Amino acid sequence: MKPMLAALVLLASLGVPLLAVAADPLASPGWPIAQNRFLTGKTYVFDDRVQVIVPRDAEDSTAVPGFVRVQGIPDVQQIMVFAELNPIPMIVQFWPHRLEPNIGFRFKVQQATPVRAAALGADGIWYIGGAWVNAAGGGCSAPSIASADADWAERLGEVHSRIWNRGDEGRRLRLTVMHPMDTGLAAGIPKFYLEELVLVDDADKHLGRVEVHASVAENPTLTFDLRTGGSVRIQGADNNGNRMLGEVE
Amino acid sequence: MIDNDLDDVERVVAYGMNPQAHRYSPLDKLNRDTVKHLTPAWAFSFGGEKQRGQESFTLVHNGVIYVTGSYSRMWAVDARTGKRLWQYEHRLPEGIMPCCDVVNRGAALYDDLVIFGTLDAQLVALDRETGRVRWRDRIADFRAGYSYTAAPMIANDLLITGNSGGEFGAIGEIQARNPRTGEMVWRRPVIEGHMGTLPDGSETMTGTLNATWEGEAWKTGGGAPWLGGTYDPELNLIYFGTGNPAPWNAHSRPGDNLYSSSTLALDADTGEIVWHYQTTPNDHWDYDGVNELVLFDMEKGGETIKAAAKADRNGFFYVLNRETGELLLAEKFVNHVTWAEGIDLETGRPIETGARPGNPAATDGDRGESVTVAPAFLGGKNWNHMSYSQRTGLFYIPSNEWEMEIWNEPVTYRRGAAFLGAGFTIKPIYDDKIGVLRAMDPKTGEIQWEVPNRTPLWSSILTTAGGLVFYGTPEGYLKAVDDETGEELWKFQTGSGVVGQPVTWTMDGEQYVAVVSGWGGAVPLWGGEVAPLVRDISQGGMLWVFNFPKKRPSVGDYSGVDGSRAHLSTARRFSFGKTL
Repeated sequence: MKPMLAALVLLASLGVPLLAVAADPLASPGWPIAQNRFLTGKTYVFDDRVQVIVPRDAEDSTAVPGFVRVQGIPDVQQIMVFAELNPIPMIVQFWPHRLEPNIGFRFKVQQATPVRAAALGADGIWYIGGAWVNAAGGGCSAPSIASADADWAERLGEVHSRIWNRGDEGRRLRLTVMHPMDTGLAAGIPKFYLEELVLVDDADKHLGRVEVHASVAENPTLTFDLRTGGSVRIQGADNNGNRMLGEVE
Repeated sequence: MIDNDLDDVERVVAYGMNPQAHRYSPLDKLNRDTVKHLTPAWAFSFGGEKQRGQESFTLVHNGVIYVTGSYSRMWAVDARTGKRLWQYEHRLPEGIMPCCDVVNRGAALYDDLVIFGTLDAQLVALDRETGRVRWRDRIADFRAGYSYTAAPMIANDLLITGNSGGEFGAIGEIQARNPRTGEMVWRRPVIEGHMGTLPDGSETMTGTLNATWEGEAWKTGGGAPWLGGTYDPELNLIYFGTGNPAPWNAHSRPGDNLYSSSTLALDADTGEIVWHYQTTPNDHWDYDGVNELVLFDMEKGGETIKAAAKADRNGFFYVLNRETGELLLAEKFVNHVTWAEGIDLETGRPIETGARPGNPAATDGDRGESVTVAPAFLGGKNWNHMSYSQRTGLFYIPSNEWEMEIWNEPVTYRRGAAFLGAGFTIKPIYDDKIGVLRAMDPKTGEIQWEVPNRTPLWSSILTTAGGLVFYGTPEGYLKAVDDETGEELWKFQTGSGVVGQPVTWTMDGEQYVAVVSGWGGAVPLWGGEVAPLVRDISQGGMLWVFNFPKKRPSVGDYSGVDGSRAHLSTARRFSFGKTL
């Protein structure tokens, strides 16, 4: 990868469009659209150091587990995760700040699609990894389970979370926010989804922020790898202005 | 929004056109001679399957229309083209309990925010540019029967709201917030015995405990001020009408039941009640007192009186001194008022006829003796607002003639359940009309003219300096009539019943009129024997915008219009105006 990167950076600095050279390793028909939508004007390169871990075949189209791990790229500023053939392509945008540049999530898949992660390095270059997930589909336009439950509002915004100590690998935080995550694509149910989560430590220091999109599975479950000790406060907001609060030690 | 903006005819920034709720525009380009040229500029569908009653007041600012719709939705639309700029759809929980359709009556503008309330009794402040939520706050708990359908009001740099839920025993309350943040500044329950909060955090009681309520009945006393208020910036008073007391069965709550079925004047700084006027003491007929108090200056005997007028559900048109609450005039504005002979101007109290439903406790069965009484509980006038014309000095009232049979039943309060203790059915009085648009002289209480309508009038009124009175009908028409005679000058079929609120403004030198169309509201739900009259009206959900084109070649004169296609469209436009 290194020589290829060097060549790309060189080309970029000469003003040569990168599109022509950066052929999609996943050979996706959606790539030109995704590239246009998310990476216009940005310098990017495909790089295996951005790992996207998804099942080859999705068992449940409404909740496909995914994990993005970035290793060996220093000082990652931001990570975009998107599934380009989904009607709502963006899944999460993550600013790791004081967290490891890793994020776990569950998402809805409408049809077989690549899942991509683009990590922005301190050098201003987006490093892109990806993998295909096969799916029977329909996950985005299915009504949420909550929408059939008259009592969904009773548990809306509850935050459940836990921290695991994983020895040398540090501490891992997993959280679930109770939320229907309605995409607006099921008839008669307005778009209603968690939009943002901010993690703060016990000294009120900002740890990281994630923008969540309606393609994230109902009752979003997210995983973060911590670099710091102490308790973590979780603050969230949805697109209707509902606020959520959680705390975990 | 900003008080001195209100005279700007290029904007509609306050519910009711101004804080006094005149619903009057000084624009006169559209007038008795020219209104026939009024033509649709564009229409905007609210979309979806949620086509229920559309009662929204449209706001216009900097070329953008802000309009709300059924099921707690809001749109920003380009006022010139009808292009949708954004949409906000509130996700409503199951179990909301709006008594009288899933309507919304409009929003308030403040700085870069547009703020509205939802059926689950929440306030949502959206960014005017993007439609994204900037803050959200709860007015009350929807699980206890509270909801919200009114347009919030900006007064004294505060965001003022009431609440809805009168049929569920919910306690009426008026709240003032910082419009920027949603933070509560003061709150004032409107039923005696309940504690309100002042801006410094201290608490004071509304009224005097058990002065006009016996025992604990005040605890579930109702009184929801669900329609919103008006404001006098000079006196710094906020005026709110309060709802009927709960339950409907008045035998279970002896006393006047203050401050139900009243108009209140509140100190805008503190929320404390400065004066009150109760239109229906110990209400027994669901004569909700929420109807708007319209503020106006009345010339009488060479002096100017700071007056205010209200056309109440109970069939009387009241003129009050808005500084003191003193009653100046009370006359019937509908033909049939049988619960009271009149209002005693000395005491301000009704002279009742005794037409109260019998006490169920006095009979062997569950049901008390029934009475037939007018007006019906939907009122001589309902929520839909009258207009005060600064041009004629008259009030234009969308009134309804109907009566009801009503009887009482025993009832106990259960949180979140309907709390009525009464049965009822509404009946028409005339074969050929229920709705009657009436022009009322506030100095004499005399009706100057009236225009009948087959079905109940459920739209607000707009008057203009052009001598026009605009109103909508359930039959689907937006109409303009002459403000001096009631003669019909123009009408347009919108495709569904008009129960909205017409507004007018200028843009690029042209005068525009807007109204929402979409049949619904309380009539089809509560209308009794009236409901069959309106059963076949199609549902809808549409914003109609009309204008008055600058170039109006006379028929046959197409100079300045080139090409056969332009010729055709001009000709069409004219046949439109003529055949209607």
